[in-house]
Amino acid sequence: MKNKPVIRFFVRLAAFSVILFAADRLAGLALKKIYFSQRVGQYSQTTYALDSAKQDILIFGSSRAARHYSPYIISKVSGLSCYNSGRDGLMIPYAAAVQEVSLARHIPKMIILDISPRELGIDRVKYERLSILLPYCAEHEQLIKYVKEVSPYEPDKLISKTYPFNSSAFVMACNTLLAKSVSKDENGYLPLQNSLTKAETDDYLKRMLARANSVHQKAEVAEDKAVAYFKQFLDNTARYNIKTLVVISPTILKNAFYLDNKVLERRLIEEITGRYKNVTFLDYSKDPRFNGHPEKFADYFHLNAEGSTEFSQLIAQNVKANI
Amino acid sequence: MLFNSIEFVIFYIVVTTLYFLVPHKIRWLILLAASCYFYMAFVPIYILILGLTIVIDYISAIYIENEHHPRKRKILLGLSLATNIGILVIFKYFNFLNLNFGFLLQKFNYHNPIPYLRILLPIGLSFHTFQAMSYTIEVYRGNQKAERHFGIYSLYVMFYPQLVAGPIERPQNVLHQFREKHQFDLSLMQSGLKLMLWGFFKKLVVADRLSIFVSSVFGNPDIHNGTTIVIAAFFFAIQIYCDFSGYTDIAIGCARTMGFDLMTNFHRPYFASNIQDFWRRWHISLSTWFRDYLYVPLGGSKAGTGRRYLNLFIVFLVSGIWHGANYTYIIWGALHGLYCVGYVALKPYLPAAKNKFTAKLLNLSGIAVTVCLVTFAWIFFRAASLHDAFTLVRNLRSFGAAPFIGDGLNNFAQCILAIILLFMLEYKLEYYPGKFNFFSSPNIVVRWGTLAFTILWIVAFGVFNGGQFIYFQF
Repeated sequence: MKNKPVIRFFVRLAAFSVILFAADRLAGLALKKIYFSQRVGQYSQTTYALDSAKQDILIFGSSRAARHYSPYIISKVSGLSCYNSGRDGLMIPYAAAVQEVSLARHIPKMIILDISPRELGIDRVKYERLSILLPYCAEHEQLIKYVKEVSPYEPDKLISKTYPFNSSAFVMACNTLLAKSVSKDENGYLPLQNSLTKAETDDYLKRMLARANSVHQKAEVAEDKAVAYFKQFLDNTARYNIKTLVVISPTILKNAFYLDNKVLERRLIEEITGRYKNVTFLDYSKDPRFNGHPEKFADYFHLNAEGSTEFSQLIAQNVKANI
Repeated sequence: MLFNSIEFVIFYIVVTTLYFLVPHKIRWLILLAASCYFYMAFVPIYILILGLTIVIDYISAIYIENEHHPRKRKILLGLSLATNIGILVIFKYFNFLNLNFGFLLQKFNYHNPIPYLRILLPIGLSFHTFQAMSYTIEVYRGNQKAERHFGIYSLYVMFYPQLVAGPIERPQNVLHQFREKHQFDLSLMQSGLKLMLWGFFKKLVVADRLSIFVSSVFGNPDIHNGTTIVIAAFFFAIQIYCDFSGYTDIAIGCARTMGFDLMTNFHRPYFASNIQDFWRRWHISLSTWFRDYLYVPLGGSKAGTGRRYLNLFIVFLVSGIWHGANYTYIIWGALHGLYCVGYVALKPYLPAAKNKFTAKLLNLSGIAVTVCLVTFAWIFFRAASLHDAFTLVRNLRSFGAAPFIGDGLNNFAQCILAIILLFMLEYKLEYYPGKFNFFSSPNIVVRWGTLAFTILWIVAFGVFNGGQFIYFQF
């Protein structure tokens, strides 16, 4: 092997690497500044939930938490301050991560966890989405173990300062440049405005019944890791003796979880919550006040503003009774 | 080991460095050992299957070359091909055939006594089997001398960049390259790395981004309306192109950095103005394989018109079966067979361009029709089952309803952005190949700036969950 071209290659590679390293630092710095200066949108909600939330009641969960629980109503009825840390598309591992960081800073009087049986089923997506915790790993080392669920190499990738903001540039741009048009949350609560029609609900029921035949042929199995995160969440509430409500919020179809082959997971939630003295389990998935009421739902999975107002009042009563 | 993994990055650096450090005499050994390691990173035991086909084809080729009796040569070739196809059938098609046999017996109230085989499909089986078969066929035809060096022949089948998803090489193109001494070539190294970078861009920024939306729609065929399905089908058309051609770019680039020249596998297929043109641009190594080893032996286009149509249809049907043991692939192949037969039959009646404007218009409408036909066929290719495929096709009737865009606008917007970027770059390559070549600009600021920008774009917009390449399963 002749050395001259090899040396030239390595010199160029080294020079290019330096430029790339500097460009990455620069881009990362700019993205970090933009990211943490957001005042609207769900990124700013996560930042607030992790770094600042000190309310008496903290709500955790997925989009069904963020869209279903109005802290304003809960506060008004219970007389306690409340913050909704729910976030779209994120499930029990995310709730466990945010709870762990929050509890290290502040012990609330009550915790509400909105959970869907689906969250305890096998689905890799719930771990892949934990990458949204990457921007916080530098400040909160507890989060490293959660981002390792995305991939064991995730902490190594943090060598890049741009990587923590992977896939978030578009949302950041919208939240920063079009802040006025982004719907503002009310202490983390993001109500949905539109309503379903009866025809859409009937169509959905028809499709779910067709789906039920195929999903029921598959063996139903709960995911051990997801169950462990659920237990970890409840263990933490027990350790600090925090009153906790574990809630399955309303669904448009009665027995929606049966149709979706999630009977086992629903039973597991009930059984696990029964082991904790500080935990109360509430299941609204068969509640006739919501089942078959398309006017209270924005889509097949979420209540709209009207539905969530009604539901929040019910939750507020439960908060009052359990606190 | 996936190309889009940290393990591969480390593996590639170690192997390429070692390759140039060791004396030429033992480079084949380094590459062979690396290829074995690469393959064994998936399911180690399956290296034995690969080893068996290599031994059989190696010996068969030498016997074929030494044998002068035409009938005995044919028998030897037949034995070699039967072994390769036999392995393919056992691992890829046995359960599918058995299942259908069971259904048939059930119709007559009989129980199928043959058990279901609990085996995993060896990764890239169809690719290396076809590459091995092309070797023995070429030796039989006298176009290639039988390779006496067992290590070199093994490397021909196992060369890691193209082992699991092609390009399906021909011995005339590759075998001699393993004997040649490749000096470290700065321009090859740079162009190889740039090609790999482009491949990673296609895979991580485009294919894996689109796959998020596509999977959510194709995974729940019964709950989506026609508009969503049309969007998902077009997204899948782009996803599979970027996934597969991205893999190929990484493979070719990776080989090029070591001085090897692998064949082109894609030539911007969605700019094809008709279905024949599409197949001249899509998975070229497979379509030319079928042309050389199936279409021509069947009589090709020299037989009568009817026979030609039948040959064309058979080739595409077999191509569908090659992709997988599922009726969805068979229908996909059959659809392409019908498209091609239809095009060849209608070709004489298609309007001819009278001037530049009509030529452009015809070309554009040809591209649009081809993309639509190909995309429709992709629905069958992507669907998990025939039931799902027909559910999706049935739901197309509700085209026009508001589409589902996934979990918020973020991913969907990134999909659109990725598609626009890809289109701009492919358009430039197709119609202005000599212009705006920023990657190889003589101006170092432009060149390095573009490279750094591309890398940062991948970091900022790529999907890094290690999604498998679609074609690995074949």
